[in-house]
Amino acid sequence: MKLTLSNQLNNAFTIFLSLLVEAMPFLLLGVLLSGLLLLFIDERKLIAAMPRNPILGAFVGSCVGFLFPVCECGNVPVARRILMQGAPLPVAVSFLLAAPTINPIVIWSTWVAFRDQPEIVVLRVVFSLAIATIIGCVFSVQKDLRPILQTAVARSVPQPVAVDKAPIKDQTLALLESGSFLLGGTGKPIRMDNTVLQASLAASTAKKPLSYRLSLLLENTVQELRELGGVLILGSAIAATVQVIVPREAILSLGMSPVTSILAMMLLAGLVSICSTVDSFFALSFASTFTSGSLLAFLVFGPMIDLKGIGLMLSIFRPRAVIFLFALAAQLTFLLTLFINLYVS
Amino acid sequence: MSAKSSGINFKDRRNRQVPPDWALPLLDVVAITAWGVLLLKYWLAGSLNLLIHPNYFWLVVVTAVLLVIVGVLKGMQLFWTIRQRSFVSGRSRRVNQPVSPVQHITLFPPGWSGTLLLATAILGLLITPKVFNSQTALQRGVSESVSITRSQPQAFRSSKKPEERSLIDWVRILNVYPEPDTYTGQKVKVQGFVVHPPEMSAQYLLLSRFVITCCAADVYPVGLPVKLTQDSKAYPPDTWLEVEGKMITETVQSKRQLTIDATSLKKIPEPKNPYNY
Repeated sequence: MKLTLSNQLNNAFTIFLSLLVEAMPFLLLGVLLSGLLLLFIDERKLIAAMPRNPILGAFVGSCVGFLFPVCECGNVPVARRILMQGAPLPVAVSFLLAAPTINPIVIWSTWVAFRDQPEIVVLRVVFSLAIATIIGCVFSVQKDLRPILQTAVARSVPQPVAVDKAPIKDQTLALLESGSFLLGGTGKPIRMDNTVLQASLAASTAKKPLSYRLSLLLENTVQELRELGGVLILGSAIAATVQVIVPREAILSLGMSPVTSILAMMLLAGLVSICSTVDSFFALSFASTFTSGSLLAFLVFGPMIDLKGIGLMLSIFRPRAVIFLFALAAQLTFLLTLFINLYVS
Repeated sequence: MSAKSSGINFKDRRNRQVPPDWALPLLDVVAITAWGVLLLKYWLAGSLNLLIHPNYFWLVVVTAVLLVIVGVLKGMQLFWTIRQRSFVSGRSRRVNQPVSPVQHITLFPPGWSGTLLLATAILGLLITPKVFNSQTALQRGVSESVSITRSQPQAFRSSKKPEERSLIDWVRILNVYPEPDTYTGQKVKVQGFVVHPPEMSAQYLLLSRFVITCCAADVYPVGLPVKLTQDSKAYPPDTWLEVEGKMITETVQSKRQLTIDATSLKKIPEPKNPYNY
């Protein structure tokens, strides 16, 4: 029996569409929540309340996800914006990593799926919190954000005090860039482009009339839907193609051993790019063949890093920062879940 | 003022043949509305169950309605802006979009994202998603399927009479009590489609169902071997059958397996919802 090409194409298309149909509600929910947060909550107050201590900040950032029930499709716009509004980097990074897991909807769906193995639910939360906090702390060492952020995001981040130490090359570049500048009393040009205007505008919209805020919400929703939707489509297309080309058995046969099962499940998590709100059901279908550690690896690592998520993260961070995040998250997940496999279960 | 503040792009754009400035916002409107329409179409045409688990239907429907609302609102806003502009001045070429509060991601050049969204929606409207077939079942490893199911069946009811159990019920029960001899002699009546694993002898076929846990990306096949009185070629792959018979234990594919000893095999039309939950 041969696998016909048309059949393969058809399967890929069906998987592609099903990923999109399933992710679209959560994407919209994320975009809407992020817009509401933008227009109806004074983020500056929220951000000002964030602890400046890196460890505490990273931990609080991890828990902020509890306020925003969004999965990994939805947390990126929120993370990007709180960063642009001046949230400390550890807060934003830990939020980015933990929010898809540490939120009521995801915990609830994991509970539904693994009702008989509550340790999976608890450990998923604990490990995600731990990894996000650790990585947040690691990122707190980076004081100058520009080398790791995408230019558009970096521009609107309020410049850190350490701007004088920035390489001269960067400054000349900034001077040669187009746009309007204000010459402040310090003699340093302050960029006055759309981004900054919009960011300050956003911060002051809380005082604007409701109709104005609503029209901004609409505009914001359209723009984020369009951009994140485009990325989602690319990610789902890749995930669907890989799923069809690589037989699932090949991934599964990578092993039942404590080590390779974890690696296999992390690989699967990265490839399938399934939304964190529903991924526990997916993991459940492997529950009898895979070690608990590897299931945890899937549930912890998947929401942080996957093909789709990498695309979205590239909208905030430059590639090398994403690679760094990826490597750290992968290693920490691997070590923690290996510990479970070897010493607990 | 407008030429200066909009940066260098404006100058470039003036020299080239550019689409009118309402083209990109219009693309967004069309793309977002098209997605709403696509999701509504899946729901109304009943093909949503080929893509996702019924638990998430309401989410999709709400999203579809919201997307259409967003599209229509944005379209109205655009329409009014254009009309206002043509009243105020025929010379001004810029549509005054409300200033977006955030600088948006620029992974794609302008217009690409919208085009991608629209193109996918159009493809989705044109191509109907198809049910996975036996080839997919083989590729996804139906032979291993019995072990790859939920470890803790949620709908496990031992009180169900044997002949009322579905194929999935059988597989789930097998996971709890794997010894095939437990079930010898019990009556079976199950529905599924035919799969011919290449290594199975012609006396058997595999009756399969796909199980969906959340969306088509995680669909996995389960199946039970059926012992036939005639050659399995009489039942080509993907035929839907209702099989009645008794449970026996056979060594199929060099494994002791619970097998259906078929007394009657009836061809049935493909069920409206081919997946199981």
